Amino acid sequence: MSAFIVRRLLLAIPTLFGVLVVAFLLLYVAPGDPVMAMVGERADEETIARLRAELRLDDPLPVQFGHYVAGIAKGDLGRSYITNRPIRRDIIERFPKTLQLAGAAMLLATICGVTLGVLSARRPGGWIDRFGLGVAYLGISFPVYWVGLLLILLFAVTLHWLPPSGFGGARYLALPALALGMRSIAFLARMTRSAMLDSLGADYVRTARAKGLHDSAVVGRHALRNALIPIITVLGLDFGAYLTGSILTETIFSWPGIGRYVVNAIARRDLPAIQGSVLFLSAVFVLVNLLTDLAYAKADPRVTYA
Amino acid sequence: MRRSIAPLVLALGLACGGGGGGTDRRTLVDSRDNYDPRSLDPALSTDVPTGRAVGYLFDGLTRFTPDARVEPGLATSWDVSPDGATNTFHLRRGVTFTDGTPFVARQVLASWQRVLDPKVRGGRGWPLYPVRGAKEFADGKATSIAGLSAPNDSTVVVTLKEPFAIFPKLLAMPVASIAPESVPANFGERPVGTGPWRLIEWKHDDYLLFAPNRSYWGGAPKADSLKARIIAEPSTAVAEFQSGTVDVLQLPQSEIRDWEEDSERRKLLASTPSLELVYVAINTTRGPLADVRVRQALNYAIDRSIIVRNLIAGRGELASGVIPSSLPGAEKTRVGYQFDTLRARQLLREAGHPNGIDLELWTSTNPIYVRVAETLQAYLQLSGIRVKVVQRESAAAREAARKGKTDLFIKDWYADYPDAENFLYPLLHSANKGVGGNVSYYSNPQFDSLVSAARREPDEAKRVAMYTAADRIAFRDAPMIFLWFYSELYAIQPWIRGFVPPVIFNGQPWTTVTTTAAAHQPAR
Repeated sequence: MSAFIVRRLLLAIPTLFGVLVVAFLLLYVAPGDPVMAMVGERADEETIARLRAELRLDDPLPVQFGHYVAGIAKGDLGRSYITNRPIRRDIIERFPKTLQLAGAAMLLATICGVTLGVLSARRPGGWIDRFGLGVAYLGISFPVYWVGLLLILLFAVTLHWLPPSGFGGARYLALPALALGMRSIAFLARMTRSAMLDSLGADYVRTARAKGLHDSAVVGRHALRNALIPIITVLGLDFGAYLTGSILTETIFSWPGIGRYVVNAIARRDLPAIQGSVLFLSAVFVLVNLLTDLAYAKADPRVTYA
Repeated sequence: MRRSIAPLVLALGLACGGGGGGTDRRTLVDSRDNYDPRSLDPALSTDVPTGRAVGYLFDGLTRFTPDARVEPGLATSWDVSPDGATNTFHLRRGVTFTDGTPFVARQVLASWQRVLDPKVRGGRGWPLYPVRGAKEFADGKATSIAGLSAPNDSTVVVTLKEPFAIFPKLLAMPVASIAPESVPANFGERPVGTGPWRLIEWKHDDYLLFAPNRSYWGGAPKADSLKARIIAEPSTAVAEFQSGTVDVLQLPQSEIRDWEEDSERRKLLASTPSLELVYVAINTTRGPLADVRVRQALNYAIDRSIIVRNLIAGRGELASGVIPSSLPGAEKTRVGYQFDTLRARQLLREAGHPNGIDLELWTSTNPIYVRVAETLQAYLQLSGIRVKVVQRESAAAREAARKGKTDLFIKDWYADYPDAENFLYPLLHSANKGVGGNVSYYSNPQFDSLVSAARREPDEAKRVAMYTAADRIAFRDAPMIFLWFYSELYAIQPWIRGFVPPVIFNGQPWTTVTTTAAAHQPAR
């Protein structure tokens, strides 16, 4: 197992290096110049030339890239062109907030989605099943920004139960977590239902029932455990996605996370900030995938990574 | 591995939050910033959120009132030499920074030097370029700024390259604010100024919290604190306002009609005269657009009043020149180009394009401008002008226009200071082609000499007359499709007293604004 982890972590290095190259080249070919963003609406050629020189933007591309990689190797993500703050600090400040939001959304999705899926599978065609189907349709069809605004209108503007947006405690977390988690709730509910239907029809479930096991033990310990693999897959993928890209949710709910940071950086062509966050988020994604794979082994003893 | 499956446990900081935004109603809450300020260092002030916050924390030698008059700030008065090139500023005495350091003339010199210092990477030196030697210093060709001196602690003498009568107006811009003589590396996060407010905390992408500077020379702010929230999504800002959690809202265009038609909500609205010009820059060097008749045809081909009424809820005053009617120099009697497709077609024929022309109209992805672009496209089609709309993300679109790669480009221009010069010179003077702001690449020697002469002219009446003459030329030459001056609409909570929407973005320091906390029930 530990050999597997080490191998995966080593493999992550070329992956991240590839990400670095692609991100660097994409920014180079994309139109838009960081210096243009720095100088604002009114400028002059000399200032622009001077800033370009100051930021070493006129160096040959391989030199710029080498310079950047050398910094990374020393653990230095550089400073933002625009704000002059260290990128590392910006990320450290914002990522925990994104983690909090993504975590809450996943928790919500796991609790609601899996419960709904299990209950649906126990009585296919029953009212819970049909309700679950409705929830799944809505959750998958409604875009997150629309759901987000509706939630704000209902719970903040009309009912005054929760604050409309901003960062703070659980009261601020509830709406964005729900908006973000909607899609996962829907997917998990459907995924859990079909996986459960498969395993509930399997021989070992019949055996368990024949042994006289209580229904909850049959469903919970035998059927659900065997249905876990696809559930973990969905959880892992969604969690990775939420950690790296809950941009819309963060924007609508004024959540000061990493998604908005990246969007701002892109709008201002803040190259070090974009590259630094892309690299960091890729590392996060690789890590989540690794954890997902390890969770497979936990869930299913037949999966081994010897 | 025998135990049951470990659930996906996440350490969530779900500390139950009781307070937070909006419950402490002695705090004034602003919702206008939609992205995080770049820094709180005046030398880095190139965008609106930064400029606004810098305006709370710092003072310039002059400052704007909410209705865009220029009044004394850290300078109580100034004299101009007979040749108009030397400005002597007499500084306010007894002013201290919030860390207790007394304000003296040296700090003025040091602050402006920092703005121009290449190493600071501010990128916005132009308000100080009129100072003799400033550009040379910024370009690294001089080690000090020749035109700046401080004969004593309360006097600053500024020698300009050439007379520039409106120079004191430029000093009210955030970038010209006065900071301490030497600043630490993290000054952008830990600013120390002489302004009406001091920074309590800055939660990036979340909010900035300010407390009154009790010893402010201009009278300490009356409220307990001021919170500038950063709300990226306009619809969210509206919801915050409706929940009573923010006090002041800049109403998005999409909301205006609903609010104006609602008898309750319309009572909360307040409007400002506009110093924002929305126009379509016509690149006067590209193909058929070099012909003035073609450019006039473009102006005749569209019905602006319909567009203003239907796309921006009537909030635009039709432009017939680049000077807003609220500024001296605007020729108010001039009638703009009227919608007349026959005239447009005739002008095109005269210019040798009986079969029409093909153009590209560039726009950012701003939804309002995209809609304007599509509407213009339909109108222009009626006169035989076939337009392809090119949408690009705003930085990319702006860069293309600056490099002269766009035929037509929809853009706006906000005044930095209230003077016709701030429209005529950057937008249309040939010295500013491209990155300077003249993306029409317009060049007319007669216009240039009038604007240059106006900049040097000390007599206000003569100066204004030259502005008017220059604007008349620009109108005739049509280096742009003159669209409208947009007038901002604000919504202000009924419990807020004393908030006057500012004409210039940094013209409202909130010092006299109060909140009557008992007047409402905040959302809990």
